[in-house]
Amino acid sequence: MTDAGMTDGPFAVPFAEADRQLTICNACRYCEGYCAVFPALERRVDLTAGDITHLADLCHDCRDCYTACMYAPPHEFALNLPAALSAVRHHTYDEYLPRLTWPAGRRGAMLAAALAAIALLAVLGVIVGGAGAPAGSPYRIVAYPALLVAFGLAAAWSVIVMAWSAARYWRATNGPGWGGLANPAVLARALGQAATLRNLRGGGADCSYPGDEPSGARRRLHHLIAWGFAACAASTVAAAISQDFAGDPPPYPAASAPVLFGVIGGAGLVIGCAGLLVLRRTAASSDTASSDTASSDTPAREDSALARRGYALLAALLVLAVSGLLTLVVRDTAAFGPVLYVHLVAVAACFAIAPYTKFMHVIYRFLALVRHNSELRQR
Amino acid sequence: MISPEAPWDVVVIGGGNAGLVAAITAREKASRVLLLERASAALRGGNTRHTRNVRCVHDSGDQYTPGAYPYDELWRDLRAVGEGPADEELASFTVRESASVPGWMTAHGIRWQPPLTGTLHLGRTNRFFLGGGKALVNTYHRTAAAAGVTVWYDRIAEGLEFTGNRCTAVLVSGGDAGDPERIPARAVVCASGGFEANIDWLRRYWGSAADNFLIRGPATNDGRMLAALYALGAAQAGQERGFHAVAIDARSPRFDGGIATRLDSIPFSIVVNSRGERFYDEGEELWPKRYAIWGRNIAGQPGQIAYSIWDAKVNRLFLPPMYGPARADSVAGVAAELGLDPDAVAATVAKYNESVVAGSFDPSRLDGCRTDGLTPPKSNWAQPVDTPPFYGIAMRPGITFTFLGVRVTADARVRTVEGGAFRNVFAAGEIMSGNILSSGYLGGFGLTIGTVWGRTAGAAAAREAVEL
Repeated sequence: MTDAGMTDGPFAVPFAEADRQLTICNACRYCEGYCAVFPALERRVDLTAGDITHLADLCHDCRDCYTACMYAPPHEFALNLPAALSAVRHHTYDEYLPRLTWPAGRRGAMLAAALAAIALLAVLGVIVGGAGAPAGSPYRIVAYPALLVAFGLAAAWSVIVMAWSAARYWRATNGPGWGGLANPAVLARALGQAATLRNLRGGGADCSYPGDEPSGARRRLHHLIAWGFAACAASTVAAAISQDFAGDPPPYPAASAPVLFGVIGGAGLVIGCAGLLVLRRTAASSDTASSDTASSDTPAREDSALARRGYALLAALLVLAVSGLLTLVVRDTAAFGPVLYVHLVAVAACFAIAPYTKFMHVIYRFLALVRHNSELRQR
Repeated sequence: MISPEAPWDVVVIGGGNAGLVAAITAREKASRVLLLERASAALRGGNTRHTRNVRCVHDSGDQYTPGAYPYDELWRDLRAVGEGPADEELASFTVRESASVPGWMTAHGIRWQPPLTGTLHLGRTNRFFLGGGKALVNTYHRTAAAAGVTVWYDRIAEGLEFTGNRCTAVLVSGGDAGDPERIPARAVVCASGGFEANIDWLRRYWGSAADNFLIRGPATNDGRMLAALYALGAAQAGQERGFHAVAIDARSPRFDGGIATRLDSIPFSIVVNSRGERFYDEGEELWPKRYAIWGRNIAGQPGQIAYSIWDAKVNRLFLPPMYGPARADSVAGVAAELGLDPDAVAATVAKYNESVVAGSFDPSRLDGCRTDGLTPPKSNWAQPVDTPPFYGIAMRPGITFTFLGVRVTADARVRTVEGGAFRNVFAAGEIMSGNILSSGYLGGFGLTIGTVWGRTAGAAAAREAVEL
């Protein structure tokens, strides 16, 4: 590694280990067909910290390179690239957050942001009041202006922090300038690969996840989450259009766009998150359990701190989806008010803390794909 | 549980490519097939773990092998390495049968990938399987398990028990019982590889030079079953000093370093021995046709060591070596870092530089950039070594596998020194590669031999078992 930037301090260990492993990978190249990491690695000789970060985010953690690796433990070369790159991701996810002088670090900042969003929602709700809204309207619980301001502020905060982090990440991995971000063809290819999770296909072999056997479960469940999330966003947009342009305030009937998108999206999120939580547990236990397969008596394949963030993100999305669906189910009952309030609080808090969570993988992975496709065009 | 006394239809010794193919094939006809794997599950597959492609005849190109590679061309290539095929009949059978190997592999779960970058221009002749050899081994284990093949790990086949000309049992150690177990069998396939990791055995033919050999595959390839077969009267095939060996980094582990330690710098560098003298034409042929002679070349040098030295001009033309090269601002500096006599190496380089004839350098073909009046010459890619920084790496012979094995019949039966063959003992893969290879090697052909003869031996063993 030639870059002094992250070679000392807390990043020294994961970067040095990833560098050691990638150097062996670059002399072998058997895994070239699995994903974008290896072709990207092969274009480089001396890896910088930015290169290693880039490769770490190109890695979608399908683990096919691990099960295919003749140098995996107990071999003395002890390669476990998915784990090494996940350790790098764990460190870089924090590295590019705006430098906060918050005494308690990332968790303190998260807590503060969440509490601020919740408090804002509560205070504005009380100040504005919702008595004027018709029966059954969500605005009886929290008035529309209060919602708009509280969510608007939380979202704006989130977007600013994410954009800031993204800009710092881009400078570190890509260098100055817009690069591939200014190229529509590159952006389109990167979007396509992100939307289809092309790098979770293992070159057609599917993932070695949660165990050593090839499976498409993780990719399919992730699709449910990503597209479910998009459907929930579409539901919100549809509701805004109905209300502000068609002059049709909530609540909406079951056969309306906001409800349909919300139900489909919520269901996708619930199934996807619950499924991935189960897979995560299976993966974690198959890392340690001994079974009669190729590489089970080996160390964990994901950085444990990053794995905790994975659980946290899934759990948070599950809370959002379940509380949202529940709102619909109970909207004609007395429980509607409390359930809706819980849902709104959850949404506001999640907005506020998103930049401090694994949610950032969406941004970093996309930027890595942009850079990768930009390099492919230059070749 | 089936009684330990009930004989297996087919016992396959060895869990590399040939053994797995034999077991899967045998299971199509025979109902009880047992595969004995010497390694643990994590390290299963023997030398096959380090493979990545297979060389097969194909009459037209496709997305994985752009361009045809007809029978005649592969046959010509095979005859051109070393002294050519040991047994022309078995070799031509292998080449002929190779045409159906990719289809067979696909049908048994193997996936493919486009030719790897930086892989010696092998794209047209060799098909690369996705993920390399360990992925292939994993896939075949899945296929074998689905077909109902039984696999025992950590088992060493020590010998065979005979009644007359017929093997009745395999003696196996490593199980729960302390003493070797007797595993009754109706037919046996020996696919347990060569003896390249048995340094004592290598020393018989190579003397103390063998102490400086590095072995690219696992330390378990000690030829135990091959020795047992010889003791039982099996006929010998192949040359005692026949092996596939390449130049690898002298810092590689003694065993199992595999592909990542191989050096492809030779055609773009000059190579000197421990006296600082050149000894072989580095640019004789395209690298895919010559990489396999350099293990032998280095084995013939004093101390079995040689040094590849190059300059900044060509530094990115080959795969970056795993341990990194020595580097200095002068040739003498690199020589000193490598522990060589700086004056001797500087003199060799100066003489070489003077003899380089100007030409148009092109790494992708025989470019005719050569030396004039130098012994030995460098016939292609000769450029002065004059642009700092200079680089160098010490190299040792990296032995991939030995060819000396057992003679077989056309249906893979092991022949005996008396002129006949064992009734129900078959061989496949490296253990019988000496029927086909003499002293040279053709990249990717080991997998071809293993697959063709694994199918042949597996089918013949199953027939034998079922008819018994």
